[in-house]
Amino acid sequence: MCVLLAVAAMVSMTCGRRSAGVPPSNDLLIIGYDREPDTLNRFSTHILEDIQSCISEGLTTTDEQMQVVPLLAAEVPTLQNGGVQIRADGGMDVTWKLRPGVTWHDGTPLTSADVKFTVDAINGPNYNPESTDGFDRIRSVDTPDPLTAIVHYREVYAPFDIQFIRGVLPKHVLDGRDIDHAQDYNRNPLGTGPYRLAEWRAGEYILLERVPHYWRGDEYPRIRRLLFKFIANTNTRINQLANGEVHLVALVPWDKYGDIAGLRSILVHKTPGNAYEHVTLNERQFPPFADVRVRRALLHALDRERYTKTILDGLAPVAHGPIQPASWAYTDHVTRYRFDPVRARLLLEEAGWTLGANGIRQRDGRPLAFTLITQAGYAIRENVAQAIERQLRDVGVDVRVELHDGTAISAIWFEGRFDAMLHWWQMPSDPELTTFFAADRTPPAGRNINYFKDDELTRVLYASDRTVDRAERLRLLHRAQAMVADAVPELPLYTVTRLDAVPKTLQHFKGNPTNTGVFWNVHEWDIR
Amino acid sequence: MCTFLGKRTLQTIPLLFVISAVVFLLIHAAPGGPLAIYLSNPNVRPEDIERLRRALGLDRPLWQQYWSWLAAFTRGDWGYSFSDGRLVASRILERVPASLELVGTSILVALALTLPVGIVAGVQRGRWFDRITTSAAVAGISLPAFWFGLLLQIVFASALGWLPSSGRTSPGMALSGAGTMGGVTDHVRHLLLPVTVLGVVQAAAWSRYLRASMIETLAQPFVLAAHARGLPMRDVVMRHALRHAIGSVLAIVMVDAALLVSGAVMTESVFAWPGLGSLFTEALARRDYSVLMALLMLTSTAIVVFNVAADALHAIVDPRIAR
Repeated sequence: MCVLLAVAAMVSMTCGRRSAGVPPSNDLLIIGYDREPDTLNRFSTHILEDIQSCISEGLTTTDEQMQVVPLLAAEVPTLQNGGVQIRADGGMDVTWKLRPGVTWHDGTPLTSADVKFTVDAINGPNYNPESTDGFDRIRSVDTPDPLTAIVHYREVYAPFDIQFIRGVLPKHVLDGRDIDHAQDYNRNPLGTGPYRLAEWRAGEYILLERVPHYWRGDEYPRIRRLLFKFIANTNTRINQLANGEVHLVALVPWDKYGDIAGLRSILVHKTPGNAYEHVTLNERQFPPFADVRVRRALLHALDRERYTKTILDGLAPVAHGPIQPASWAYTDHVTRYRFDPVRARLLLEEAGWTLGANGIRQRDGRPLAFTLITQAGYAIRENVAQAIERQLRDVGVDVRVELHDGTAISAIWFEGRFDAMLHWWQMPSDPELTTFFAADRTPPAGRNINYFKDDELTRVLYASDRTVDRAERLRLLHRAQAMVADAVPELPLYTVTRLDAVPKTLQHFKGNPTNTGVFWNVHEWDIR
Repeated sequence: MCTFLGKRTLQTIPLLFVISAVVFLLIHAAPGGPLAIYLSNPNVRPEDIERLRRALGLDRPLWQQYWSWLAAFTRGDWGYSFSDGRLVASRILERVPASLELVGTSILVALALTLPVGIVAGVQRGRWFDRITTSAAVAGISLPAFWFGLLLQIVFASALGWLPSSGRTSPGMALSGAGTMGGVTDHVRHLLLPVTVLGVVQAAAWSRYLRASMIETLAQPFVLAAHARGLPMRDVVMRHALRHAIGSVLAIVMVDAALLVSGAVMTESVFAWPGLGSLFTEALARRDYSVLMALLMLTSTAIVVFNVAADALHAIVDPRIAR
């Protein structure tokens, strides 16, 4: 084994890296992708929609600044342009004007009938999309002309502008069919986007080719073929990037940053993210977390600046709340908790937790000891968990770290069977906080897995969801962020920066902090 | 012989039934489920989770789920994949060629290494060839497949650039419209590294079994008698000793081959090989119960069938077994 290692090291040193593939060009760009999509139907898939978004376009999309911009819609409806109207009965009507001249890839015009069909299919009994969020609040859709769809909501729904971000379903292909099993569409969807499917080799790759006449003009897209190679193993994916066998790897794990940062042909694109790593404190499972002094003490005990500088290689800034600076709703006018172990000890003493002989605090004979669960297989997350364990031990809190696989951990947190959990939320592009913090949104009704209850915060959050007045919503969301920062229902750690490794020759790559993914402007990409 | 085989085959039916029940229970006992993946998406509401649970039939009692699966499975209906809604049979069938290609080639390579190494090491016990191959075999058995695979990638793909690091074909080659020969060469180049990993690791183990079996056989009275009759060494080993020694090794080879057919999970993962092993990894991560059950039942059936086949082979080599 030692001989093998020595030979490998010698060969690596003497030969350096040699390219085993073709260089990226406007003829072919090869993307190393970590998983094969389950389906190319954007409404059914559960994973990132990178491949799908090259084929199927939404009425709107989110740009690199997280702004909602029109795509198949002529404009984003707003109160100001008359596209949104609040009804006297408390509902709202949203008028979508479609961009004229857009056709499906088979030449059929895209019309408002497709918008209506999409709503009816998603709300109907014969289709099981991944999410019906928002669609379930739509009462009906009117189509006064082929380019106008008026969507009637039963109540005010703030994220209406991203309702059709996943696109629309082609009525002329899917009408009257069992969409769950319409494999001709689900495996090869008809879209309006810059690419269409050329080949899908199960377990190997998906090849997309440009459509001959894209609605933005025949000069788009500039790259003729996109090839998504499925390489589940991270080491192999990074090796292939280094060899030149793949040209682009999206969402590079942070612990691989060092391996690719020095590659001559690769640029690591850093996008300030919309996700934040934090420690969820489950008050129901571990009642000491219900005391705000304990929660504040825990946050004071963590040197988050040091984590970001050392463990995270300076790749991520410290987070102070659930909405990140990339969002239009972010505010930095909130309480901040600096690293202050003395203050942490005082707060714990004040809460009645006194230091025992074994160095662990206790109250009424019970130790301040809990389990911190996190997902196995993420080196950086495991290191952060250990740092937390060590720093909380310094103030007399006993933490035991437990690792679980990704699927198991989802079930554990959904059932609330944990004390504390280190994880992140990839926040929606709409800055809705209700599902995470409203008192009545504990599982299964939502994602408030802190089991945190604050009636005033709940009221503010619901109010922010039920207005489409951007200024009013901003005021309410700023207030909510300040309340969350004061109450510390969870321990925010850092903003997750998204890393994408792209060829240095690739122009117009802009990144994207949301679930929309980095391919949202693929039509512009150009390799020079 | 026929009675022997018939009896062995009949014994497998209740065994497979018990296996299916145990596997079904184990899969469902694992934390998480097919819907766990949706939970981390805040846009998927509780109502959606409940609707999907009903659509997949996960709201029914476990025994009902098992019974309907069993009834359908025995009719040859393997159902739909929980993750992509496609027929399970289609998902498995499209991966079979890649798996057979990788495993078949690996077994041939492993046997090609095992036979000469095992025989010579057994005959020359304690001499330099035996000592060297023993050390090499210990190293081979100890090598974790994923580590060995990554090592080969670093040397032959990254540093030397001689071979592709993963995949079954070069997409660039397939798209370039290269001729048949170009396609075959490209295929072979992709096979080399994963086959080396599987072949070397298997040969390391199998050659040890053959060596031990040869040493034991060479000490048998019939071999000594053959020597005493003045037969040349080559004939003693190849005609008499090997025929006796190879029986037990073949049984092991058959069982190992069955396991390999079910998917060389780690090797396929490292080399992004689109076979049953990588399908199993994907299905496990998604808790795709229908695909997992089908794959595990295929594996179990393959092991049982190969065991029966190994018994039959053993009985042909040594007819006393069938009596």
